[in-house]
Order: sequence, then C-alpha cells, then structure tokens
Amino acid sequence: MDRRVIRSLTRIVGRQNVLTKPADLLLYSYDSSTTEGRPDAVVFPESTEGVARIVKLCAEGRISFVPRGAGTNLSGGSVPLQGGVVIVLSRMNRVLEIDAENLRAVVQPGVVNLDLQNVLAPHGLQFCPDPASQKVSTVGGNVAENAGGPHCLKYGVTVNHVTGLTVVMPSGEVRSFGGKALDPPGYDLVGVLIGSEGTLGIVAEMVLRLSPLPDDAQTVLAIFDTLEAAGESVSRIIAEGMMPAALEIMDRQTIEAVEASFPSGLPLDVEAVLLIELDGLRESLDRQAARCAEICRELKAREVSVGRTPEEREKLWSARRSAFGATARISPAMLVNDATVPRTKIPEVLREIQEIERRHGLRIAKIFHAGDGNLHSNILFERGNRDDFRRAEEATAEIFRACAEAGGTITGEHGVGAEKVQFMSLLYSPEDIEAQRKLKAVFDPRGLANPDKVLPEATRAGAQ
Amino acid sequence: MSALADKLHSLEDIIGPASLITDTEAVASYRVEGQQPLAVALPQSPAQVAGLLRQASQDGLSVLIRGAGHHLHLGAPPTPIGLVVAMDRVRQTVEYDAENLTITAQAGASLEELQRLAGERGQMLPLDPPGGDRATLGGIAATNLAGPIRMRYGSPRDLIIGLRVALADGALIKAGGKTVKNVAGYELGKLFVGSFGTLGAICEVTVRLTPKPERRAMLVLAMNSAEVKEVTGELLRSRLEVASLGIANPAAVERMRLSLPVTIAPDVRVVFIGLMGDGAAMARQEEEIAALSGGACARLNEAQGRDAWQALREAPYPDDANAVVVRAALPISHVAEAVELVTQFEGWWSVARAGDGLVYAGPPPDTTVRTTLERLTELRKFAGQRSGAVVLEAAPLEMKRSFSVWGQVQNLDLFRALKDAYDPTGNIGCGRYLSRPQ
Repeated sequence: MDRRVIRSLTRIVGRQNVLTKPADLLLYSYDSSTTEGRPDAVVFPESTEGVARIVKLCAEGRISFVPRGAGTNLSGGSVPLQGGVVIVLSRMNRVLEIDAENLRAVVQPGVVNLDLQNVLAPHGLQFCPDPASQKVSTVGGNVAENAGGPHCLKYGVTVNHVTGLTVVMPSGEVRSFGGKALDPPGYDLVGVLIGSEGTLGIVAEMVLRLSPLPDDAQTVLAIFDTLEAAGESVSRIIAEGMMPAALEIMDRQTIEAVEASFPSGLPLDVEAVLLIELDGLRESLDRQAARCAEICRELKAREVSVGRTPEEREKLWSARRSAFGATARISPAMLVNDATVPRTKIPEVLREIQEIERRHGLRIAKIFHAGDGNLHSNILFERGNRDDFRRAEEATAEIFRACAEAGGTITGEHGVGAEKVQFMSLLYSPEDIEAQRKLKAVFDPRGLANPDKVLPEATRAGAQ
Repeated sequence: MSALADKLHSLEDIIGPASLITDTEAVASYRVEGQQPLAVALPQSPAQVAGLLRQASQDGLSVLIRGAGHHLHLGAPPTPIGLVVAMDRVRQTVEYDAENLTITAQAGASLEELQRLAGERGQMLPLDPPGGDRATLGGIAATNLAGPIRMRYGSPRDLIIGLRVALADGALIKAGGKTVKNVAGYELGKLFVGSFGTLGAICEVTVRLTPKPERRAMLVLAMNSAEVKEVTGELLRSRLEVASLGIANPAAVERMRLSLPVTIAPDVRVVFIGLMGDGAAMARQEEEIAALSGGACARLNEAQGRDAWQALREAPYPDDANAVVVRAALPISHVAEAVELVTQFEGWWSVARAGDGLVYAGPPPDTTVRTTLERLTELRKFAGQRSGAVVLEAAPLEMKRSFSVWGQVQNLDLFRALKDAYDPTGNIGCGRYLSRPQ
C-alpha cells in the first residue's frame, strides 16, 4: 500500500492505531469462518469523525475497506478479499445514552452485546437480540448481520429492535437515518442497512429499541429417543397457541461433545434434547410449562425437567450454552452453517442431512433453533486434511440445496459474507439479484465497501 | 388511431379488453384528489401487473397502483394519472401455512378474508390498520399502516417477511421468503414496504401470524391531564404485557362516539389500556393497573370493549373528503405533551398511540383553512424540536398545496437516487411520495 496512504491514516487516528506489520496484519486476515485474506492496513478509529475521514481517504484513493467488530463473523464477512483497509470498531465501545423514558439506547458499534445487557438490566430493560455469541460479539456486528439468536420466534430479529442509525457512507459522508421516533417520512433505509454486512456503509452509531425484561421465565428440558419426537413436540406446542421464547434442540453428536467437555449429566444414549424457554407473566407460566411437559411426555420423552428458579433454569441451559464451544473443542476445525427452513420442514431436511453425513463419511453436530427453523449443522473435519475439507464443503453445498428446496434460506443469521455468495442463485433469479445490485450501486457506486460480499459478480446477462 | 388509443391497445393485449376500463364515467370513480385517470387496468396475476408496468413505462403512461382505495387520501397532490392499476383481482391466497405461522397472499386479498381464514385455526394476522378489514394486504404493505396492537406485535414492516414485487421495467422479483430469520442478501422488502407504490407494485405478501389471544380486555382510566405522562410512562416500562395504550382528549371521545363508564370533564384525558392474554394473567394485570391509577380505573364490558377497540383503530381515519387528519411521530416521552398542545387548539380532537409515539389529531369541521394551517405549522414545529415528524394524512387539496404533506424529509437526495434506480423514467407513483417539487 502506498506509503502516503499509511501516513494519512496515521495522521487521522495516530501512529498507535494503525497496524501495517505483516505479523499484525495476519491477525486481521481471518474471522470465525474459514475464509482468509490479508489487509494492507488495519486501523482503529475512536470516533465517527475518524471513521469518516478514513473512509473518505479510501474513497479518494479507490481503496477498498472492510469494517470489523469482534471478528466473530461465521461467513467470512469481516475478511478483506481485495486487501485494502480493515476498520476495526472495537474501540468505539461507549454506551452514549440510556434513555429509559423513551425506551431507547444510543450506542457505538463496538459495544459488546452482553455488556450492553448488563448495563440495561438495572433499569429493568433489555435489548432483545441476544445471539449465542453475545459475550463477544458487538452490537455493530449484530446490526451489520441482522443477527438472530435463540429468541426470534417470539421477539424477532435485530431489524425489529433498531430505530436509528448514523452511517458513514462509502463516500465518507456521514448521514443519519431514523432516530428515537418511529416512522420518519421516507423509505425505510434503517431496515435496508441492517443486515447489509458493511457493504453499504459503516454504522457508527445506533439507536436501539429497548424492552422491559420479562416478568418471569420457566425452562423445560426433555430428553428423547428420536429427533422426530422432539420436533413433533415443538409442532404441538405451537399448534396449541403457545409462543415460547426459545425452542432449542441438540442432537446426539452435540450431546456427546458437551458431555465430553463440560459434563452436565445428560445421558449419552439419547438422540435429542429439547429445551423450551417460556417467559411472560408469572401467572401464565405454570400452566404453560406444565402443558409443554405433558406434550413431551405424550410423545414419549424419556425424562422431563422443569426449572422455575434462575438457578434451576441456568442448570438446564448449561449444556446448550456450552454446545458450540464443546463441539469446537473435540474438532477445532468445523464448517458452521445456519440454513433455515419453515419449521415443519425440519424432520424432512434432517433426514437429508443425515443422509449427506453418511454419504460423505462426516460427523455433523446439529443444534437447531427449532422454533424458527434455524439449523446449525456443524460439520467437523480434520484441520489440514484437504480431502476432509473438500467433503465438508460438498456437504455444505448439499445442505444448502436441500434447505432451499424445502422453501428455506441459505442463511438465517450468519450472513452471506464471502462463503455463501456462490449459493445466492439457489434462492434468487438473476432478476432478483439485479434488483439487489441496484441498491448497492446507489449506496456504493465505486464498489469499495466490503467488496465481493453478499452479491455474486454481475453475470453478462445481469450486468447493466 | 391516436397515440393514446395505441397505448391503450397495447395494454389490452396484456390483460384483455374486458379488463381495461376507459369509459369516462366508469373511470371517474377512480379519481384521486380530483385527478381523472385516462384508464383503469384490472390485471389478474402478478405477471400481468409486471407486463402493464413495463408497457406503461415504455409508453410514458404514468401509473398509480391501487388496493382497496382506502388510503388514497394519503399523499401529495398527484401529478396527471395515466393508468390506475387496480389490484382487486390479484387476490388469491397463495399459501396458508398454519403450522409455520405464515400466510402468503396476493396484494388484492382483503384483510377481512385472511383474518377469517386464520381465525378458523385460532390464529390471526396481527394487523389492525384504520380503514376497516376491507383494506388489502398490498395496501397495508405499501402504506405500512398499523393500528393499536402495533405496540405489542410491530408494524407491517416487522411482520412482513416476504414480497413479490413488479418493477417498472417489468421484472417480477422476490424479496425475503417464508422464514422469520433470513439474511440472504439485502432486505429489499424493507425498501418496498411503506414506499407508497413509488418503487414498484407489491404483488404478493408473506406475513407472520400469531396465535389468537384467549381474551381481550379494555380498561379505561380517566385522569387529570398532568398525570397522563407519568402513568403511561410507568405502564410502558412495566413488565405487564399491555397490548395497546391509547390516550384521548374529550373531543376525541366525543368524535369516537364512545359511551364510557367514567366522567369526562374538559381537563380529563382518557387512557385506554388494551390487554390480550389468558385469564390468570389478565386478572393480575387489571389489579396492578388499578393500583397504579389510584383506583380510577374501569373495565369495559364486552360490548363497550369491542366498540372501544374498534373506535381506537378507526380514529385516524378521516370522517369525509374535507376532513383534516394529522399524525405526529415522536419519541414516546413527548406523547402526552403533544396531546396537551393539540387540546389547547380550539376543539381539536387527539388520539395518541402512546407505545408507538404516534399522535393523531384533527380540527372540528368548521375551522377555517387559515387557522388550521397555523395549528399544523405549530404542531410541526413542536415535533421538529423533539426529533419527531408530522405528516398531513388527510386534507382538502388546497390545504395540501399550502402545507407540505410529508414535511422536510431527511436524505431526500438518497431516496430520489433509489427512485431513479428502480423507476428510471419516474413513471410510477404519480408524485404522491418523496417526489420533486412541481
């Protein structure tokens, strides 16, 4: 990279906030996915103005830039594919305002999700999106990905909980969209920007909608001998008009991984664990929890436990919370995907995934947000084994195809990033993609904001 | 043949001559704010809608898209209208997937018929916009209009997870899908929902459903105006599950023709608390709310309650073609203050949706244009100073010419760039939303 550019970056953020040494750059050449790509420089702005000046410099020099939060991205979205500048927002980590009266918080993008929840709890408030990565992931990253998590059937996703954004546009210009009030006249660009994965600009400040903490919660854990029975229980619960806050299923491979790493006392000879979280007014919960337990027993659950106190509930949740880490512990190399299908298609897709698993001789640990049809098939492979990796990639492609055919999507919450771009055509026609490309062209005509992400290259037919 | 006849003929080729209305008298009933369209098309499928848009764009025939026509009062005065594309016959229910809590229907399907369908399975579309159940799904999506239960369930923007849209160039595109979680590509649906038919014609909509609550109840609190802010604020921050929270001044109670079991003196504001849920939870909420209000709390009986839900939902709807209705959107802590401001205007009614920060208001029928304009200006200034915005939802044409319907819009240049990208010839929407000044 041109030394003059580095000097200009240094002038904007200070020498200590610019990295250019190869060893440092290596640290920012990957995220939590398997994608890699080395930046030419990494900068750590501390203000919106700093971000704006960096982006302006990039725009003038036609240099691509990639925003980055905590780097927990699971689709390669925060990895630079064309070099350029990685703009790390982790130092913009202030909660600027908690406006309890208006049920809003104003925060910078580098605030860690769980830190925010901890600041809000004493006010009796929460920010509903709580992805599983919340201990590490930043709210800016949550907004960039339109993050989900376990509570989306009842509470929706990130886009349902953000009312305003301050954005550094790819030209370096700073704009605000929305605010504390709802329904500003104009197209809903807050809605469009959320989930745009840093390809339309960089979010530098956010106005979040807060919600009162639920009055109370209860957790039901049921152990099944078949995955189908666990899935059927979920269907019956919803058919009876209940709307649990979370419905989580873990399969046998996941349970084995958990018990090998963080023993929680789950039996090893079972096929599925279903975790049901009910929240709301205390008076409704006893009856609902009892009914959920009854449904699980009717469907031949081997064991059903109900947690009423925070301690009891935490105990039931502990296996689920450690599932991802435990799986990563037995196989540090894994391909994670988050294909999502209409919930009732889960059994059908599951059978296909098991078939794919068998065909490729792979182990796939499955965890689902069963309430919203979000499947995490974690494909385990041996690091450095090229053949293993290739089979894992083939299996991923087959899972995506199966989910798209079942009326679902290739990504429910992790984003398209770099890794799923090639699968967009499973969901969208060239005309659909062209309509999305129009949006990108309005925001980023030069194509400098997080290039080669989200949308496939323009084909000759689709090009303007 | 004249140039116009040629153009109309091309449209007939797409939908058949019987589906194109050109008779002046028949077309007159599709007038919008005095503008007579040249023709009205009644397509029967999304493909026909797309074909019409492409042809009209090629021929420079401006297009206005129409659902049930319930909210055509909303918008800037229209530029000349070439073709009204009425979605009445694009109205199939594509898929009701009760188990997955979604329904997909074409734009012209009425909310009423979809509610009936979902109701048979104990479910509902959590949408209650003003204008009655005759409102169409496409119209609701295009206007993003919601009602009192938005506080609990969100707005159409939150509840719509998939769309099929016909673009000006004739492309029929899909945005989103059938799952609540879906981050594959940009959320184009958000761009089209609430775009008032200026970026394309919404042809098909997928909406999230919710189980129908076991019971509904409506409580009313009659309180001194000074207490409203505190009490509603506490309710909004509480762990109770209030489904709707309305505030009405005495003029509004009279306009809604509600008979309530509370005494309404001029300085009294009525707070309407809508509850939805099961019996056990309901009883506790009623107790806590009564305690919060210091006992001045009445529970409406079933008939009164039904009337109140209905009246609150319809409150923003204009009484007639000359009625003025204005909407202020504010940070929620300023809602009570805005109701007080409006109540000071002579005889104005005001109904607020406290949980969403929306305040609707209007003058009594005999108010002069000049006074109304002064008041609207005052309200817009008030909202502007509090990071809010005012939209003139309904007004006679001459008033709209003196008072901007949408007000000062932030990022207008960007909106216009988007409009140019999706509708390069500026052919659809007829200047009703975010258009260049005439």
